[in-house]
Amino acid sequence: MVVSLVITCLVAALALAQVYAVTREKIETQRVEATRRSLAEVLPGAGDFEPAVPDSVWLGTDPAGTRVGAVIRVARQGYGGPVPVFVGVDTAGRITGLRVASAAEGLRETPGLGLKALEPRFQDQFRGRTAADLRLEKDGGTLDAITAATITSRAVTEGVRAGMEKYAGYLKP
Amino acid sequence: MSVPPRPSRLRYLTSGIVKENPVLILMIGLCPTLATSTTTSDALGMSAAVAFVLIGSNVVISLVRRFVQPEIRIPIFIIIISTFVTIIDYALQAYQPSLYRVLGVFVPLIVVNCIILGRAEAFAYGHGVFDSLLDGIGNSLGFALMVVVMGVIREFTASGSILGKALTPAFYRQAPMLFLLMPPGAFFLIGILKALVNRFGIGKG
Amino acid sequence: MNPTKIFLGAFLVNNILLMRFIALCSFFGVSTSINTSVGMSAAVIFVTLLAAWVSWVLYHALLAPLGLVFLRTAVFILVIAGLVQFVELFLKRYVRALYSAMGIYLPLITTNCAILAVTFLNIDYGYNLLQSTIYALGVAAGYALAIILFAAIRERLEDSPISQSFRGYPIAFVGASLISLAFLGFASLFGITL
Repeated sequence: MVVSLVITCLVAALALAQVYAVTREKIETQRVEATRRSLAEVLPGAGDFEPAVPDSVWLGTDPAGTRVGAVIRVARQGYGGPVPVFVGVDTAGRITGLRVASAAEGLRETPGLGLKALEPRFQDQFRGRTAADLRLEKDGGTLDAITAATITSRAVTEGVRAGMEKYAGYLKP
Repeated sequence: MSVPPRPSRLRYLTSGIVKENPVLILMIGLCPTLATSTTTSDALGMSAAVAFVLIGSNVVISLVRRFVQPEIRIPIFIIIISTFVTIIDYALQAYQPSLYRVLGVFVPLIVVNCIILGRAEAFAYGHGVFDSLLDGIGNSLGFALMVVVMGVIREFTASGSILGKALTPAFYRQAPMLFLLMPPGAFFLIGILKALVNRFGIGKG
Repeated sequence: MNPTKIFLGAFLVNNILLMRFIALCSFFGVSTSINTSVGMSAAVIFVTLLAAWVSWVLYHALLAPLGLVFLRTAVFILVIAGLVQFVELFLKRYVRALYSAMGIYLPLITTNCAILAVTFLNIDYGYNLLQSTIYALGVAAGYALAIILFAAIRERLEDSPISQSFRGYPIAFVGASLISLAFLGFASLFGITL
């Protein structure tokens, strides 16, 4: 009885170790590729991204080598974990692009309300603004929140503003 | 030992699809059905993952059943099933990362999917390999049928499209009916489906 | 993360049964009477807590440092199965009264998706031991709340004139749909997002 149990465990463990070994590299590549794609999307013009602060700030340079700006990753705590946002900022401190990570990149929300944060209508508003300009209408500013998702909108707005202020030093060329 | 006639063998395959459909008739495996039927492609993805584990574990358990004493069969089932689940878990991570993150925690939860453990105990442990294979395929198809039907309905009403292809006029897609997409709607939909099944006397009993 | 938010999030906003669809099999199977629901809830709270602790410790002290993360699924479910066995034997020998009250629910708990989900999510959300405990409690309490509420409704439904096709599961699902709708109202409670 114990013998069959032990044999089963061993066979299972060996099979799984094999599977793990085979897939490990591919998984890592996927992760790196996905990050690269997100970075490029919010900071157009940059070809190369160099991590300045691990997992938080990347410095973008164009093919000629000049600094184009930086990409900051902020993640203000929502309920089910952080709401990850990539924001691209040029050297003048203006937002070039903003992207709330989708469910395929770690956004843990139930479908429906939470995912409305992905609406382009909401995200597009950020373009061109500086850190000073980032406040929802409801909080005295000029940004339009997502209908019925004020809290999520606020989390994104506040998170981006906080991130830009925190890493302001990296934005200068 | 006499071989049962062909038609009866086929029954192992077909009973799991409609007559004893695990989700709608036996009412097991509800969690992933409701959770992953938000869009047609998610439903298809989940069905594939469940099929892999169900068929794989049915076959293996049937293969080793003579060496497994009744007292320890449940832990052995669990080990075998979780091995298959881990395999599909890592395979998805490596080769279908976007599907993997959409399915999320439901991939490892396949290991406690009542359908898989249920078929292992009720069928694979007591039947031959080929029959267990058929049973696994049948139940996988039954599960897939349910999830995909729900997925199509939910995706269509909530975004006016199926598999991403728009099928309704733009004015609908701009303000679609979100009810069925959200949790209350999912419960409601499966309630209606079950009532329909009852009304038309589909399934056993 | 703020402990209150973790708890309330698990308990109400993202209620494991009504919003995340986890543990539905037991939900519909056990909720036919309030008594069985209470018994099941007690067992669930107990096992979830134990399982959360044991799995968290095993993961952080053993699996992760040894690079055996891929054994996570198998190990966690075996831990739960083992815990359930152990608890059942323990109660049978030492706390007979409790055993007769909730003993029958224990085997059902092994396949309770919520417990396994908690063990996984504690790791995925990066919670420390304290946060994991709060989260486990929140989820289990949310399970209890949902199932007891639901049982109360189902008990009333027993005596109500329901049309033939809807009797049993269908009307139960519709009832669950309405409670879930009510819980949707908790979204953004205290700033906790869905």
